[in-house]
Amino acid sequence: MKWSVGAKIGSGFALALVILLAIGVSSYQNTSSMIDAAAWRTHTYAVIADLEHLLSIIKDGETGQRGYIITGQSEYLGPYKDAVSTVRPALDELVTLTHDNVSQQRQLERLKPLIQTRFAQFKSIIELRDAKGFDVAVASVQLGEGKKVMDEIREIIAEMRVEEQRLLKIREQRADEDTHRAIAVIIYGIPVAFVLLAILATLITRNIAEPLRELAAGAVKIAEGDLTINLKANAERADEVGALVRAFVNMIDGLQHMAAVAGRIAAGDIRDKVQPRSPRDVLGNAFAIMLDKLRAMTSEINSGVNVLVSAAAEILAATTQMAAGSAETATAVSQTASTVEEVKQTAVLASNKAQRVADNAQTAVAISQDGSQAVQASIEAMRRIQEQMESIAESIVRLSEQGHAIGEIIATVNDLAEQSNLLAVNATIEAAKAGEQGKGFAVVAQEVKSLAAQSKQATAQVRGILGEIQKATSAAVTTTERGSREVETGDQLSVKLDEVIHGLTDSISEAARAATQIAASSQQQLVGMDQVALAMQNIREASTQNVASNKQTESAAQNLHQVGLRLKQLVEQYQV
Amino acid sequence: MQKPPVKEAIDWQDIHRRIDQLSNAIDGNWQADPAHVHTTLNRRARELAVPLHNATAAEQVMELLEFSLANERYGIGSAFVREVCPLTQFTPVPCTPSFVLGIINVRGEIISVVDIRKFFALPETGLPDLNKIIIVYNDAVAPGKPMLFGILADFIVEVREVAVAAIQPPSNITGIRADYLLGVTANGLAVIDAEKLLADKAVIVDENV
Repeated sequence: MKWSVGAKIGSGFALALVILLAIGVSSYQNTSSMIDAAAWRTHTYAVIADLEHLLSIIKDGETGQRGYIITGQSEYLGPYKDAVSTVRPALDELVTLTHDNVSQQRQLERLKPLIQTRFAQFKSIIELRDAKGFDVAVASVQLGEGKKVMDEIREIIAEMRVEEQRLLKIREQRADEDTHRAIAVIIYGIPVAFVLLAILATLITRNIAEPLRELAAGAVKIAEGDLTINLKANAERADEVGALVRAFVNMIDGLQHMAAVAGRIAAGDIRDKVQPRSPRDVLGNAFAIMLDKLRAMTSEINSGVNVLVSAAAEILAATTQMAAGSAETATAVSQTASTVEEVKQTAVLASNKAQRVADNAQTAVAISQDGSQAVQASIEAMRRIQEQMESIAESIVRLSEQGHAIGEIIATVNDLAEQSNLLAVNATIEAAKAGEQGKGFAVVAQEVKSLAAQSKQATAQVRGILGEIQKATSAAVTTTERGSREVETGDQLSVKLDEVIHGLTDSISEAARAATQIAASSQQQLVGMDQVALAMQNIREASTQNVASNKQTESAAQNLHQVGLRLKQLVEQYQV
Repeated sequence: MQKPPVKEAIDWQDIHRRIDQLSNAIDGNWQADPAHVHTTLNRRARELAVPLHNATAAEQVMELLEFSLANERYGIGSAFVREVCPLTQFTPVPCTPSFVLGIINVRGEIISVVDIRKFFALPETGLPDLNKIIIVYNDAVAPGKPMLFGILADFIVEVREVAVAAIQPPSNITGIRADYLLGVTANGLAVIDAEKLLADKAVIVDENV
């Protein structure tokens, strides 16, 4: 039903007006018909009266005529004369009255000649009376012509009266029916209209008031802060209520969105970007600004807290270290104090020892001078060994050269062996050519060949031995060279040893002098040690106090660190 | 300062004694130990011993000169060998085939020298000595004017007798070499057909070339 609320209410009212109009029209019609009916009744009675009047006029004419006949006196002609003068207007009036009724007009048309005829009869009879007297006139009447016309007139008038009576009855019946209908309309129409209007009113009321009530209940809930209400049922409506519900739904959506944002903010998630629903969205704008500020603030707080936490941690570490350090210091100071005591005693001993060291140093000086002389002798010996080594090396080189000469000789021998071998082969060939006589020569050639082979083998052996000799001489030369170097090193070492021993002698002399000085110093040291012991006592007290105050600082730093951590946890709940 | 560890003392006396001995030996006063000489000679004799060839009358025997060339051992019938001599000096001859090394002078006689490695188209692998020459000849074809040339060899082994039946025809040797081989002995000696080699026209160098 896509009607607006105005249209619905208007249509209800229009229906009521229509019903009212119908009842009014009906009443009006009824009343007019009753008025008509009354008019018609009056009319009918007027017609009947006129008819009676007409009849009486005719009767008056008759009466006048009769009187005159009987009496012959003109005074009795008075009714007749009146009748003659009034009959036409009466007839005309009847015609006027019944001009709407064709049958009555027709009857009147019939009546008119009859009346004229009657009145003509009257006139003739009167004239007859005048002229012929009574008897003739009575005879004329006795003819009965007059009566016959008179009866016709009477009949017609009676018919007309009956007709009028019938019309009257019909009209009255119709008026009655109208009245009944009007009553029926009033009796049935009003309750039906009442019921119809009541139903319509209820429907319209329910159709409009019900959603409005729901909306109102929703509004109350919203006012209470409950955003879970569901108004979708009436949102599809096209009328003003639908628009209102949609507006409400929109409003709830916006509120829910804001509530969700607020919920997330409450949960610590402030990453949302709130888009204001319109430039005039106060809440949205406020939320957007609030979120921006919260983000900025949280970031700042976060960084601040981080700095705080790290600073607190550093302070804590530092104070812990400091406390530990001061505790250690206290211990160390105690140890130092006892050590100082020991050192004092040691200093006494040191003083004594220093004297003895000075004596020993003198002895050492003498010994080191002896050592120096021995080293000089050693250096001389080394020089001699070096000369010997050089001569050995030269001998070995000479030996090697001679080995090489032998090698050359051996090469020659080898060549000879080779040639001998060839000669032997040639001899064999020649022996073969000589045939049987060369056989013995062949044996000799074979022997020569074997000798050549032996020579070759021998030379190979000699060459091998020479190679070994060469290797051995090389090794000997190398060894000699190394020995020579060792001797050189020894020589240098001896020289250095000499220097060292000289230095040692000097040092020992120096040490002797120093030992004397040490003895004197250690005496002064003893006095100093006493003062040190006293100072140590003071330091020990101070460090004890230091330890106590450091403990306090440490616990304070601990608390600060805890606070920083808790603050960090709190801030970390906000996700920027 | 610690003393270095003392080595074993050198026996100088022993050393002097040994040197005196050696000096005596070098001066010729040295007498070899007879037993030692005997054993040495025996050993050498065994090493050089050649198994005696029991040539029966029915068995045909061929006397071969065995030589080594490019790590292979060859034999050539000694009947075609005039002599062997060392290669001391040679003169290359222009306009000759590659297998002709050149010419040599043997006691006033000019002899051409052939490198049979090239003649046989063998691969020239390794470092050969090539300092021996086998002079081959064949007088039978044209008496009075024998075919004569020298063959280059790494070294000469010996002259020995081989049963003709023991020379198997070459089976796994192909190419030009196979044409000039009589066969191979059981111990891997390739026997050159000297007669064919000497008769070959390819060896004769046409003066017009």
